[in-house]
Amino acid sequence: MTTLLLMVALALPQEAVQDMTVTVGTLEGRPAATALSPLQARIDAARSGDRIDVQAGTYTGDLFIHRSIRLVGHGRPRLIGSGLGSVVRVRADDVLIEGFDIDGQLGGSLARDSSGIHVAGRRVTIRECRIVRSLFGVYLREADDAVVEGCDITGTEGRSAGEQGSGVHVWNAQRFTLRNNRVRYSRDGFYIQSANHGIVIGNEVSHVRYGLHYMNSDDNRFEDNTFQHGAAGAALMYSRRLTFARNRFLHNRGFASVGLLLKDCEDVVAEDNLVADNERGFFIDGAVRHLFRRNLVSSSDVAVVVYDSSQANRFEGNTFVGNLSPLRLVGRRTDTVFDGNYWSGFHEPDLDADGVRDRPYRLSNVFDHLRGNLTAADLFAQGIGARVLAHAEQTFPVLRPVAVSDVRPLTSPPPRGAIPLMPAQDAGRTFGGLALSALGVVAGLAVFHAGRRR
Amino acid sequence: MAFTLCAQQEVRLSVRSRWTQTFTVVFAALALAVATSGYVLSGGSGTQDFSRTAASLVELVLLLVPLTSLVFGVMALTPDPGAAQLLYSQPVPRTVVLFGQLAGLCLALLAAQAVGFGAAGLLIFQRAGSDGVFGFLGVVAGSCVLTVVFLAVAATITAGSTSLRRAHHLAVALVVWFAAVVLFDVAALGAASLLRSGAASRLLMVAAIVNPVDAVRTGTLLTVDGTTAFGAASLAFLRMTGGTTGAALTLAASLVVWIVLPLGIAAARVRRADL
Repeated sequence: MTTLLLMVALALPQEAVQDMTVTVGTLEGRPAATALSPLQARIDAARSGDRIDVQAGTYTGDLFIHRSIRLVGHGRPRLIGSGLGSVVRVRADDVLIEGFDIDGQLGGSLARDSSGIHVAGRRVTIRECRIVRSLFGVYLREADDAVVEGCDITGTEGRSAGEQGSGVHVWNAQRFTLRNNRVRYSRDGFYIQSANHGIVIGNEVSHVRYGLHYMNSDDNRFEDNTFQHGAAGAALMYSRRLTFARNRFLHNRGFASVGLLLKDCEDVVAEDNLVADNERGFFIDGAVRHLFRRNLVSSSDVAVVVYDSSQANRFEGNTFVGNLSPLRLVGRRTDTVFDGNYWSGFHEPDLDADGVRDRPYRLSNVFDHLRGNLTAADLFAQGIGARVLAHAEQTFPVLRPVAVSDVRPLTSPPPRGAIPLMPAQDAGRTFGGLALSALGVVAGLAVFHAGRRR
Repeated sequence: MAFTLCAQQEVRLSVRSRWTQTFTVVFAALALAVATSGYVLSGGSGTQDFSRTAASLVELVLLLVPLTSLVFGVMALTPDPGAAQLLYSQPVPRTVVLFGQLAGLCLALLAAQAVGFGAAGLLIFQRAGSDGVFGFLGVVAGSCVLTVVFLAVAATITAGSTSLRRAHHLAVALVVWFAAVVLFDVAALGAASLLRSGAASRLLMVAAIVNPVDAVRTGTLLTVDGTTAFGAASLAFLRMTGGTTGAALTLAASLVVWIVLPLGIAAARVRRADL
């Protein structure tokens, strides 16, 4: 375990290390009578298979669901927790919860996994719920075949990662489905551990530590998700046979930030993803047989980071645009293959007009070589001097040949295909900025006008 | 009074000059190109947010502003011999004439840049959030400071001389520009690669402060992006300079020295010059 912790510590920001030893909390039982919701009587009176319709209104207190019922809210009834633990505790199989606004009152404790909805039962579906002010949003504990869809989970903005839980926490639950959810301001968007054969599709996660935090889980698919504004878009470890398609990893900037981090994983396929404006785009360490194809990696400081512990990985048909540096290789050599990618910084001619440039593209320049040993060199990375150096070295190579190059760099980016677009800029107009700019133009022209007068 | 007159005269001359007008148009066009490039990058969807746009703007400023300030400064401060004799025979201290001219020139150049920044800003703030305003003002401020610095350097190069030596001064100005903008960084990185890492770090951080171009770049990017600007290097830089305030003061001090010192030398030279 110590070795494992050490390895993780090397790859991740410091804060991540603290909660690596995730312990599963004690299972919260039936709340005390004083903490129960007025709805509890209806649940206690129901038989398995019943449907309980809840009208709009505010219901204070926790719910203990110990029968296989369908609990459906109409007009978005509000469930306000007692502040002592999880607001809704599902302890039966085949439960449906739909259409509630849940306020956790920041109650309970991380040690007991206090959540908006805590599920310890099989085939449970949670749909269209809004969860605020709870430590965990939805917690799936050994809850096989669970579905969480259309939920909106908002953590507490400004709380540090150690003080709250994840948006959706999946632990030892097989065949889960997380679809079209939205998570903000939680510790991690989705935390998934020891959960196989799941699907995560169409979710939007932003302003969290890791959009997706993931360990020891195999055969899972991730499609059409957006992970943005975090310390990492997705950080996955010790897992096998994962597929990433059409996801967006955006704006993950800050210390040691990364779009998609894969550590000690095997057989991962990532295709048609948009990886834009991250400090580092793809990061692979101890990766075995990964295939990255048709992704668009743009505006990163470093597009791809490869540790030499990785084996038999391929990058094919990707588009790399506007990255400060194409590749950082940590270690001496790698057998990673780059074949048929497009690189915006490479302008070698294509005299035989076959769409492939006439010389391989060496994925390293003298500036990258320098900065590899020296953090302070980053102060100059965006300067003109660094560009001049890089360009000069492409023309007159002075470094020993670096092992990594793209053997068939494309002359133009491959068709965009299924790669998703950037989300619409929701920042919108800034009238102060516009007014200042207009003022600048007017003032400048006024000087010109005044100067021309006789 | 004489100072204002000189400045006014210089503004008139500058804004009527084809060179200044061309600079205005070119600068505005390039700034607009930078502001739009975000859209172009990924099939019209724009993968650049404000900070990347600002970084590209900074790069444009660092290349263009020192060059134009130096060249225009040299051109304006090397009058024809007759004009120089007439000007300096007026009952006004020579330094007042010089500083008046510089002020006028500075105003004209800043007006040209204001048009360019304004045009770019009109485009950028169609979609940039309000936190971009502060960063954008940082870029504009950096540009203003660079203008003043390199006008002062131009004054040092040319003080008290006439158009007879204009070609010589222009050559010197170009060498100064190349050294400050390109050569200095390359030399600093080269030297750093030869040192041990501790010494190399210190060298690079000092280099980022003492060169006015690098000082403006470092300051502006830190303003726009905070500590994400240079990754871990930002923190190292802030630690060396004593926090945000310390960094701001250190960079400002360097730039003030780069304004005051050349102006002082220029004033001394113009007083002693034999016309």
